[in-house]
Amino acid sequence: MTPWLRRQRALADYTLSALGRRKGKNISLVVIYALIVFLVASIMMFSSGMRREADLVLSEAPELIVQQLTLGRHELIAGGEVEKLAAIRGVTAAKGRLWGYYYDRLNGANYTVMVPDDPTIKLEQGQAILGEAIPRSRGLSWEGAPLFLSRFEGDLVKFDVVDTLSHDSALVSADLMLITEQDFRDFFGLEPDVYTDISVSIRNEREIATIIAKAEKVMPKARFVTRADISRTYQKLFDWREGLLVTLAIAAILAFGIFAAEKASGLSAEETREIGILKAIGWDTGDVIAMKLWEGALVSVGAFLTGAVAAYVHVFLGGAGLFAPVLKGWSVLYPDFALTPQIDVLQLTTLFLVTVLPYVAATLVPIWRVATGDPDQVMR
Amino acid sequence: MTPARRPTTPVFAALGLLVAGLGLAAIHVAVRAPGERARLAESTRLVKVLGLTDLALFTEARYTRHPSMADLHTAFQDNPMSFEHFPSGLFIAPPAHLPGGQIGQSEKDFPQ
Amino acid sequence: MITLSAVTKLYNEGRPNQMAALDGIDLTVPGDAVTVLTGPSGSGKTTLLSLIGCMARPTSGRVHLNGDMVSGLPESFLTGLRRTTFGFVFQRFNLVRGLSVIENVRLPAVPLGPDHVELTERAMARLEHLGLADKADIPVEYLSGGETQRAAIARALINDAPILIADEPTANLDTVLVNRFLDIVADLRAEGRTVIMTSHDPRIFTASLVDNVVRMVDGRLDTEEAPA
Repeated sequence: MTPWLRRQRALADYTLSALGRRKGKNISLVVIYALIVFLVASIMMFSSGMRREADLVLSEAPELIVQQLTLGRHELIAGGEVEKLAAIRGVTAAKGRLWGYYYDRLNGANYTVMVPDDPTIKLEQGQAILGEAIPRSRGLSWEGAPLFLSRFEGDLVKFDVVDTLSHDSALVSADLMLITEQDFRDFFGLEPDVYTDISVSIRNEREIATIIAKAEKVMPKARFVTRADISRTYQKLFDWREGLLVTLAIAAILAFGIFAAEKASGLSAEETREIGILKAIGWDTGDVIAMKLWEGALVSVGAFLTGAVAAYVHVFLGGAGLFAPVLKGWSVLYPDFALTPQIDVLQLTTLFLVTVLPYVAATLVPIWRVATGDPDQVMR
Repeated sequence: MTPARRPTTPVFAALGLLVAGLGLAAIHVAVRAPGERARLAESTRLVKVLGLTDLALFTEARYTRHPSMADLHTAFQDNPMSFEHFPSGLFIAPPAHLPGGQIGQSEKDFPQ
Repeated sequence: MITLSAVTKLYNEGRPNQMAALDGIDLTVPGDAVTVLTGPSGSGKTTLLSLIGCMARPTSGRVHLNGDMVSGLPESFLTGLRRTTFGFVFQRFNLVRGLSVIENVRLPAVPLGPDHVELTERAMARLEHLGLADKADIPVEYLSGGETQRAAIARALINDAPILIADEPTANLDTVLVNRFLDIVADLRAEGRTVIMTSHDPRIFTASLVDNVVRMVDGRLDTEEAPA
């Protein structure tokens, strides 16, 4: 071990002995500090994980969705509009989508009922494919258990559950109920040839704006939602600048500020005396400052490492279990999903700097003048 | 007599363990990557096949379940003056593509 | 040996409460001897001791150590000097509370980054020599007055400094302990060390092993007694 390393270790030994004189206070300081880092890091990891998931997965959302608006409210759209859209140059396909919400009185849950328009999904009349949260919520514990829905008092409709969508896609499909078009129209009492909205496929992304301009002329009362709009919506998910997270961010910054201010608020007579003793017995200014740096660093780096590792375990191994009740809110259904483990080095580095630098600086500030003074004061 | 153990021994060991923990996390990310790619591929496939537009995260209300599809009306369906009362509203902002208000003070505000 | 030429020390310089602790001191303190600075309170003996031990710099005048001038040197050099040449025992002993005896004894050597095992052995050897080995791990608050003094001496000697500086080392100690202290000083002399201390205790400055007594009054030298 080189002399420099030995010196650092000896200084750290002294710092720890000195901190150890107030063991309870210093341990609770580190614990509380670590808890705050844990909370902030957990939120950071969870939010970016969710946003990344949304970004990747919704990259295959329909290029354009066209909705009919009446009185500012989303209304059913007539089948004739589909041909109008399909006729626009650049549109590869326009399909009417059938989807809506069903409120299940039995468990208080909202289902998203959809008609799949894809040959790979095989459905017969009277059959349904469910997202993974519905069987859990309705207690359909055995395979093939039927789903009974009651739209109003005295009503009973039976669906044979032929398949459950995989856990892998839970985040986008947990509350889905897929049925045939005829079943859908019967169930919701829809006339033929009306749709919820129209999904438009466009080959060239750059043409979307021009196609919308053309479509607006043909359908002036319609609203157009692009894939980019969808993506932008989810970039604001769990954003630090929104809602609850703003409050948490302010609270965390305040907490860090309070820790630093407490440290920087000046030296007690005891501490001043001790630094005087150290200088008198042969420690120079550099030694005292190095020792104080160790004090600040051990506490803040220790808190950061503990909080960050605990946050990673919490979010990516524990499924962010502590956040689940908050996220679930008033929902009855909650998807059983796991986020992709991911370490954002830039984010972690920023958190490290915010955790460590102010605290270490605050430790040094009050002792600066004392450390540079002449030690003969201690002789008086 | 034997003097007491140096305080840096357990503390540095603990810090070393934590740094190793971070290293293990990095390894965990790498190890899980292929499995996660497969999972995301399945999720993306379903989005494409069904034409999905939103995450099924907040199933409390229509506009929290499909925020990108929401119209101006549903958020205020209970009362035009009501504040956000669904908890999930705390986590996501209203979509940017909902038309905002324009103060049309003169003809210049309206593109011809 | 240490020489002071026309040394003056002012406190609160330039301010209304300016006071001259030392005024025009010319003094030679020989090496390999025991010197005692004495005088009434306020005579400046503690200030003189701190200047001799390079704890402070004179406002004017020069201090030479073995022929080299030290009074104009920067702080970092003086610290090095304090570490290697001088060992200090303070009036109130000034051990760090809350730490054990051996941690206090090791303290002056910590910034040098020595080998921990070797340093601990050195510290234990000093403590054994002073009869404190069995108390090495107890916190210093629990020591008696005499034990605290001996722990302070052990700390002063950890870097094997040739000159021991002590400020009123026997204040509040009874005659038995004073004699014990004088025995320790005799041991240090046998090891070839120089001892410079302040004391207003007649049991000290009349002791036979004291080579020089320097009397001070109001910041000036009163009389200087040459070695017999």
